Amino acid sequence: MDGSSARVIGIGQPIVGRSVVRYTWRAGLQGPELIWALAFLVPYFATFLLFVVYPIAYGLWMGSNPALYTQLFSDPIYQETVVNTLIFVVIGVNLRMLLALGLSGFFMRREWWIKGLLMVFILPWAVPALPTFLSIHWMLNGDWGLLNNLIWDVFHVNGPSWLDQRWLALWSDVIAYVWKWLPFWTVILLAGRMAIPKDLYEAAEIDGATGLGRFAHITWPLLANLYLVSTLLGLLFTLGDFTTVYFVSGGGPANSTQVLATLGIRDAFVMSQPRLGVAAVMSAIPVLIPLVIWLMRRVRAAGVER
Amino acid sequence: MNGVGRRSVIRGSLGLAAAGALARPYIANAAAKTATVWWAQGFVPEEDASFKQMVADYEKASGNKIDYSILPFVALGQKMVSALQTGDTPDVISYDGIQTTLVLNAWNDKLVDVSDVVATQQAHFTSTALLSTKLYNKTENKRAFYAVPYKCASEPFHVWSDLVEKAGYKMSDIPNTWDKRWDFFKPMQAKLRAQGMRNVYAFGLQMTTNGPSDGNNVFHGFLIANGGQGLVTPDGKIHLADPQVKEAVIKTITYITTAYKQHYTPPGAISWNDADDNNGFHSKLFVMDFDGTISTELAMIHRPKDYNACVTMGLPLGNDGKPIPAMVGVIGGFIPKVAKNIVVAKDFMKFVIRPEVNNKYLKAGLGRWVPVFPELTQTDPFWLHSKDPHRAPYIEETLTGPSIPDYLAYTPAYAEVEAQQIWGQSYADVYKNGMTPTAAAENAFKQIEAIFAKYPIA
Repeated sequence: MDGSSARVIGIGQPIVGRSVVRYTWRAGLQGPELIWALAFLVPYFATFLLFVVYPIAYGLWMGSNPALYTQLFSDPIYQETVVNTLIFVVIGVNLRMLLALGLSGFFMRREWWIKGLLMVFILPWAVPALPTFLSIHWMLNGDWGLLNNLIWDVFHVNGPSWLDQRWLALWSDVIAYVWKWLPFWTVILLAGRMAIPKDLYEAAEIDGATGLGRFAHITWPLLANLYLVSTLLGLLFTLGDFTTVYFVSGGGPANSTQVLATLGIRDAFVMSQPRLGVAAVMSAIPVLIPLVIWLMRRVRAAGVER
Repeated sequence: MNGVGRRSVIRGSLGLAAAGALARPYIANAAAKTATVWWAQGFVPEEDASFKQMVADYEKASGNKIDYSILPFVALGQKMVSALQTGDTPDVISYDGIQTTLVLNAWNDKLVDVSDVVATQQAHFTSTALLSTKLYNKTENKRAFYAVPYKCASEPFHVWSDLVEKAGYKMSDIPNTWDKRWDFFKPMQAKLRAQGMRNVYAFGLQMTTNGPSDGNNVFHGFLIANGGQGLVTPDGKIHLADPQVKEAVIKTITYITTAYKQHYTPPGAISWNDADDNNGFHSKLFVMDFDGTISTELAMIHRPKDYNACVTMGLPLGNDGKPIPAMVGVIGGFIPKVAKNIVVAKDFMKFVIRPEVNNKYLKAGLGRWVPVFPELTQTDPFWLHSKDPHRAPYIEETLTGPSIPDYLAYTPAYAEVEAQQIWGQSYADVYKNGMTPTAAAENAFKQIEAIFAKYPIA
């Protein structure tokens, strides 16, 4: 390392080093240019502060009183709600991802009618959630719903009261959720499968690999990261999902199918205790934060692998 | 950069600031004459039209402006809670649903004392209207008017006369005591099902934990008929140890859960919201319903056959054969303390409760909501002497007969009891958790005592 190299990288020249840092912060801009650059940045910072930092900070502040959590944890409805949330999230997301994985393989087939079927298959996702879930709620009505009328017409027996028993109602929520979001994640995994180079499959075929073998040794290893990231994202989205349970089972019967998101709304707006409602939702943070960290690590790992 | 330099930006900014400063007094003056109002959407379009007309009349008479939003009551409920939490509120709010928010915010000293507004018509109000809006403030340690009452409602019976007759009964045979009236409809279920109405039920019994209002209203109807009217007294005290109250609670839970287990009401009733029993009644899913206001009937007003086949009946006698009071829900406009224009807000509410204005407003709403001024029934034949078959029995029950306020007016603790649907949960303890009605009542009592401990009233 000669003297000129040392000057360039700043070894033994702390003053120059500081000026390099300032130069980087300003990105080479000075005077009016710097002012204009800052002026253009201000709206973005303001938006970020207003719509990201402020709501989160306000939510944390609203749910900051420990007494709220004492009240929450002593409520038997909350305890049942935590169990429901776990069932809804873990089973709902994994069932959906497994089905999506299988269906994405099906939609890789080259027949012309598969493309048409894919378009129909995407419809549940494309239709707005609210009317969809309301329709499901009405279809499942024990007295005059479409499903029980069909059961009566075909078998001449009365169908169950789908939404009036805890487990049936909770499963109705899970099925409705899977049905609604399955197309989206199928398409994501389909895109992942399409990105796998075909010559890998051709080479495997020459080596005599069967369908299952090709899946185990080519498809799954190359899709696993996407699958895991999608599952993690799905867990995050579903933990905050309010629409499905609110409109399908309504949290009933007798509050036995509430999830944290719907319980938060109930506490905030029905019981007129917004801080308690925020606390109900905030109580998911110990699960949310590790999930986010895990997700970020996976995304970073995927970047490195690539 | 030609044309846009630092100096030109500074000059422009200063110019804008100067213009704003000069314009500010005019904007402020305009704001001083404007009150923002959030009003609950009516059940029939005529209700909203009559509100708009009342606003137009006020603006003409006062020179002030009312900047109003008419919102569906669920959306309004959420918006109202959020606004009061954040402090960015309108000047007047009137919400038609369960009055939990009003009572809790009065308790927390977040509302303006509107006693001066109420005083302008104090002699004309029903005592129930006054009791319902005179709420406790824990900071002031006293009661004051925190809402301006302007309409009220109670729960009449709604009966499909054509189904009663189809089942082989006469409307004139309907008993005039509480339990017997409910029992009267039970045998109709089998008789109608035998005639091909596969899914028909005797009655729509709101035993829900969703609510927000109907489940509590049905419970109170049974409670009062069983002699438990003294559950909460106007001093805000709860009387769970009173044997009469306790017996009435147990009888109520027993009757309701037994009827459910015997399948006299649709299984979905345990999860109904306030609109579901109306919808069920309209689709003739059951013969009788006990539900607030005559919105059930008014929704069919343009279908004369159905409108006339439905019969509205007031309250029968209690199970002891004595008259029972109707529990009347009173709706009032309230003003948050952080409201920007309290003067115009109060002036507007003074206008709303002028008897002649109030009469015109509520009449245009087809009488779904009842006035809080009994004298209107004597001066205007619309309320008691019109050809409408539904209005008179409803008005008699709500306004001219004996009445009491919803207990939540006495104490915010009971507002929380209602919001938590404690009584609906007690039914669930019986049909879902296998408790006896007595054990379910005891369980409810424990929860209620814990809630009341949070709201001490001196």
